[in-house]
Amino acid sequence: MPSGVSDASAEITPETGRVERSEITLLILGFAALVAVGAASVWLVDRAADFNLQAARTLETGRQTMQALAVAKDAETGQRGFLLTDDEKYLLPYNRALGEVDGVLKKLGELLPPEGEQRTDYEALKTAVTEKLAELKQTVELQRAGRKAEALAVVETDRGRLAMRDIRNVAIRMEERENKAFADRSSSAATASNSLLFVVVLGLLIAAVLAFFAQVIVRRQTRTLSAAQKQLESANTGLEAAVVERTGDLIRANEEIQRFAYIVSHDLRAPLVNVMGFTSELDASRAVLKDQFDAFKKRDPGLVTEDARLAVEEDLPEAIGFIRTSTAKMDRLINAILKLSREGRRVVTPESVSIKDLAEGIARTVHQQALAADAEIVVEPETPPLVTDRLAIEQVFQNLIENAVKYLDRSRPGRVVVRGKRRGAMVDYFIEDNGRGIDAKDHERVFELFRRAGAQDQPGDGLGLAFVRASVRRLGGTISLTSEPGRGSTFLLTFPAAYRPQAESAAS
Amino acid sequence: MSPSRSQRPVVICMIEDDEGHARLIEKNVRRAGVNNEIRHFTDGTSALAYLTSEEVAGNGPMLILLDLNLPDMTGIDILTILKNDERLKRAPVVVLTTTDDKVEIQRCYDLGCNVYITKPVDYDTFATAIRQLGLFLSVMQVPDA
Repeated sequence: MPSGVSDASAEITPETGRVERSEITLLILGFAALVAVGAASVWLVDRAADFNLQAARTLETGRQTMQALAVAKDAETGQRGFLLTDDEKYLLPYNRALGEVDGVLKKLGELLPPEGEQRTDYEALKTAVTEKLAELKQTVELQRAGRKAEALAVVETDRGRLAMRDIRNVAIRMEERENKAFADRSSSAATASNSLLFVVVLGLLIAAVLAFFAQVIVRRQTRTLSAAQKQLESANTGLEAAVVERTGDLIRANEEIQRFAYIVSHDLRAPLVNVMGFTSELDASRAVLKDQFDAFKKRDPGLVTEDARLAVEEDLPEAIGFIRTSTAKMDRLINAILKLSREGRRVVTPESVSIKDLAEGIARTVHQQALAADAEIVVEPETPPLVTDRLAIEQVFQNLIENAVKYLDRSRPGRVVVRGKRRGAMVDYFIEDNGRGIDAKDHERVFELFRRAGAQDQPGDGLGLAFVRASVRRLGGTISLTSEPGRGSTFLLTFPAAYRPQAESAAS
Repeated sequence: MSPSRSQRPVVICMIEDDEGHARLIEKNVRRAGVNNEIRHFTDGTSALAYLTSEEVAGNGPMLILLDLNLPDMTGIDILTILKNDERLKRAPVVVLTTTDDKVEIQRCYDLGCNVYITKPVDYDTFATAIRQLGLFLSVMQVPDA
């Protein structure tokens, strides 16, 4: 199953990567086009506004030009009427025109560019108007002074008529130019708005195409994702099945080992009973023989050879003694294996255990040994509690605290500290001593069955730590050791704050 | 044990595959002053053949010393057969074995075993235990088969 997992992931990654890159490029290009279209339409709208402004200016210029012509005509009309009738009221158009002329010319001057054809024409118009108004003023003043004939004579000089003709010509020329300009501008405004329309439609098209592609991409991505998810799910399921299977295998293997240990230790016991039993029988027989031997010796020492004396008094007791100590040791070892296998088979009953109280209780039981070693045992008050099997955890702490006291350095006052600290869902416990310490090469070895380290000056069979590690693992914890020879050792126990039956539940 | 009502002495049937154990048991039972006949079998098949034979049927009361670890069948099997046998079910059964597994002990009592003794590995304790068993046997009443 794990091979299937890696295949699936190898299959997905590069393809999706390639697809993503090309699609992202496409999308970026699309958005760039959209931005260009947007910029173009903004520019076009701006230009159209500019065209409109210019068109309005052109219209206004034409209007003002005509206005200038109209003002000149009004002034002339007023003058003619006055000259004919000598009636001041006919001067009304003339006076009004006088009032308006400056304003009209000024406005026209502002509308036109400062240089060029238009300005030249404007200057000509202005000159002609000024000339016309000067002529009109002259005649009007002569008439008012009663010199009508002189006024008419001025009119007859054609000065006014020529000025008027100039005004008309110039004005018409100017108006035509403005009209033409207006037509030109209108047509370019139309072109501009057409292009705007085109650009906007183009933008909409691009947006639509983009939306379509984006939708296609999203769909494809979703499909790929959900396919990948499915693969992952099936891989996960497979993985879980594999884990369950492996866990089952491990549990079976573990059970097998425990059964093996149990059977072996049991079957070893039976012959051991014989060895020990018949050794005792042998010893009893030897005692009988010895009594008989002693009786012979008393009666006739000459009957007893030196070899026989040695055999009965020294060799036999020595041989029997060695057999006994060896079988006793073998018995202890077998019992240790039995105890380990039994601990592995024991049902763990979790309950809340105050490690502080437990450690203090153990400290009291080893009080005598501690006194003998000039040592104190300190259990820190904030040592956290644990939900676990009371009996097993007690044996663990008992072994570790006893070991700490047992292997103290007699050359200095001993100090054993038990403390703990909660760390998330786990709890760490430290059993620190300032004892003789353990060489780094033995850090693993001390946890092995029947193995010991350092000076062999204390009784023991190398069982305690092997038992501790088996129990700690049984309770779902770990044990590790930091130590420096001559400085002391610290055993670190890490347990889940609450015991979880892990392997069993997974298997069943 | 000896003053049986029918005047027939109780026969001790010992089913024990380990010759050494059998010898040590016999020695210590004798040391307790028990002089009854001891029939020794080293496997379950021959022991059952003897126990169910006609010879035994007319042979008076019977006491069975049973080891659990036998080569051909387990002591549990033998116990089950004995306690389901119309004639043998009243014969007291003393299970004498190395197994000290709680579950196994319970099972034996459930099946009708009368006494369960774990063989101590330490010989002095072993000898004491067997001698005490012998003293116990010498005072207990065994029903006629």
